[in-house]
Amino acid sequence: MSEKSLHLRLGIFMSLFALFLVLYAIPSFVFAPSNVGKIVLSPLFWPYVLAGLAGIVGLALIANALTSAQDTPFEDEETEHPEGAAPWMRLGALAVIMVLVMFGLPRLGMVWTAMLAFAACAFLFRTRHPILALVCAVVVPLLLYAFFAHVAGVAIPQGNLVRLP
Amino acid sequence: MSLMDSLAAGLSLVGNVEAFFMLFCGLVIGVIGGAIPGLSATMAVALTLPFTFSMAPINGILLLLGVYKGGIFGGSIPAILIKTPGTPASSATILDGHPMAERGEAGRALGMALYASCTADAVSNLALILFAGWLASFALNFGPPEFFALILFSLTIIAGVSGESLLRGALSALAGLLLATVGLDLVYGTNRFTFGDPNMMGGLNFIAVLIGLFAIPEIIAMAWNPVAHLGRARALGKTRCTLADYLGSFKSIIRGSMIGVFLGSIPGIGAAPSAFLSYSEARRTSKNKANFGKGEIEGVAASEAGNNGVAGATLIPLLALGVPGDVITAIIIGAFMVHGLQPGPMMFILNVDIIYGLFIGLIVSSVFLLIVGSVAIRGFRFVADVPKRILMPAVLILCIYGVFAVNNNIFDVGVMFVMGWLGYIMMRNRIPAAPFLIAFILGPLLEDNFRQSMLMSGSDPLILFRGPITWFFWLLTGVTVLAITRSTLRKRVPLS
Repeated sequence: MSEKSLHLRLGIFMSLFALFLVLYAIPSFVFAPSNVGKIVLSPLFWPYVLAGLAGIVGLALIANALTSAQDTPFEDEETEHPEGAAPWMRLGALAVIMVLVMFGLPRLGMVWTAMLAFAACAFLFRTRHPILALVCAVVVPLLLYAFFAHVAGVAIPQGNLVRLP
Repeated sequence: MSLMDSLAAGLSLVGNVEAFFMLFCGLVIGVIGGAIPGLSATMAVALTLPFTFSMAPINGILLLLGVYKGGIFGGSIPAILIKTPGTPASSATILDGHPMAERGEAGRALGMALYASCTADAVSNLALILFAGWLASFALNFGPPEFFALILFSLTIIAGVSGESLLRGALSALAGLLLATVGLDLVYGTNRFTFGDPNMMGGLNFIAVLIGLFAIPEIIAMAWNPVAHLGRARALGKTRCTLADYLGSFKSIIRGSMIGVFLGSIPGIGAAPSAFLSYSEARRTSKNKANFGKGEIEGVAASEAGNNGVAGATLIPLLALGVPGDVITAIIIGAFMVHGLQPGPMMFILNVDIIYGLFIGLIVSSVFLLIVGSVAIRGFRFVADVPKRILMPAVLILCIYGVFAVNNNIFDVGVMFVMGWLGYIMMRNRIPAAPFLIAFILGPLLEDNFRQSMLMSGSDPLILFRGPITWFFWLLTGVTVLAITRSTLRKRVPLS
């Protein structure tokens, strides 16, 4: 990707986002009392100002892309982004792990969820030390539990299955 | 309260083993965090933050300041040994540090990096002690219009942390400002973008946002390319940095420290430009000009002095005005807030013991850095060998525990994950995260002071220009915006 195409893409997105804010999001999700006398004191004023600025930045990005002569790809494009479907699948798997963590925290408890998430991530990242990864998957969440629950006094979620002291 | 009284109050707060132990631990964590490429000083500070919740405020803040200072030095170790800066501030160190390592003089380069860092750190701390109190007493005259003008000027910080494109930095900042509007309205208490969810009414948790933006994208990047981090470390070699080396570079070290102090005290410039400016000044004035870039020890000294000279100075606007000097001090502001402290001029009246306690701790930190740094140079091989594909899952788990611990709320963990993906999308599209975070912090302050000014004046906007202080900040803002616009237009290639 070149800077020109990136700016064009971002500019279009930002302009559409500004329109979305002005036409839908701010009128629907920002509430102002009916008795506000001056517009500058209204809860709506600041979001509208920011939406306007977002629109200006979006248009500036588009203008920058259209008037720029540079169209060379970024230098690190090939080394940073490996080809094939595997990276996308790993990203998808990590997203699934995060969603499962959100489901697991109140049900399994933080320690057990963290252990499973640690092991799943280590194998997702294709670790070359599987035994060490498993040991760390057990030890790290337990150590953090010991610190946060017993030193910092945080009520770490225990879940419905096995409860820790 | 006299200076001696203030010093005594500060000493009573930090004059115990626990405070200095926390500072020492912070330096160790910082050096290790800075030395691991991909972890960075910023992430190390963000990850340490949750551990400070249960500590006394002074101990927690000293721990974080230790991480900050250790992280800036730690970044030079991989810069010299594996040609990968641990932090962006160490980029200039590569220029001469790595060629020295290739010649088998890594130990000498690292020794000079350490001595230059400690000297610059001490100079920077002295500047902080001398100028912060003076600036704070001046800032006591500020009302909402003056603060509005100051914060508006501080938003020009964004130009300094925008990286390669100012427009993408502005986009990031606007996203941060918009996200900061989530929650109950400051004056009327009505809902803004809360979608009826009580969890959103207090706004998005700052710690969840910052950890999401700075730590989670690195984990996601690891999923994208698990082998991107692999590199080869050079041996230390047999030569060491001598007193003659140090004295030979002393002029460049002091000049670099001064450059660091000057640029660090201006919000937004940061350590990397300071390191490069210090390096180029040293090259311009050196007798060994021709050796620069080929492994000149004075080049290492100048760049390290430049980036460490910033560390204490960035705390001047933080403590005196409540405005972050860079992204790490923006995180440290979060630590102050978590502990119920509001950095700014009033802190010099209400919490003078903490201020002077921090000053004392910072002076000691330069000595501790010398000790920790000497050990870290020899132990880098062990740090470099930590398997990143086990380290990153551990970081993920630490993030989950840390973010949950802020409010005992699982919702914050979800916010962190969402911010993490947003941060990753930003990273892939080369949109810097630092302007987002700075705008997220300054946004509510800007709006709050604007609306207070409007309430004071009956909505007359002229109050924003009511006196010399506001004129001064408006002028500074105008000049900065003009300078940024000029340099951006100069960089552009015209359409042929």
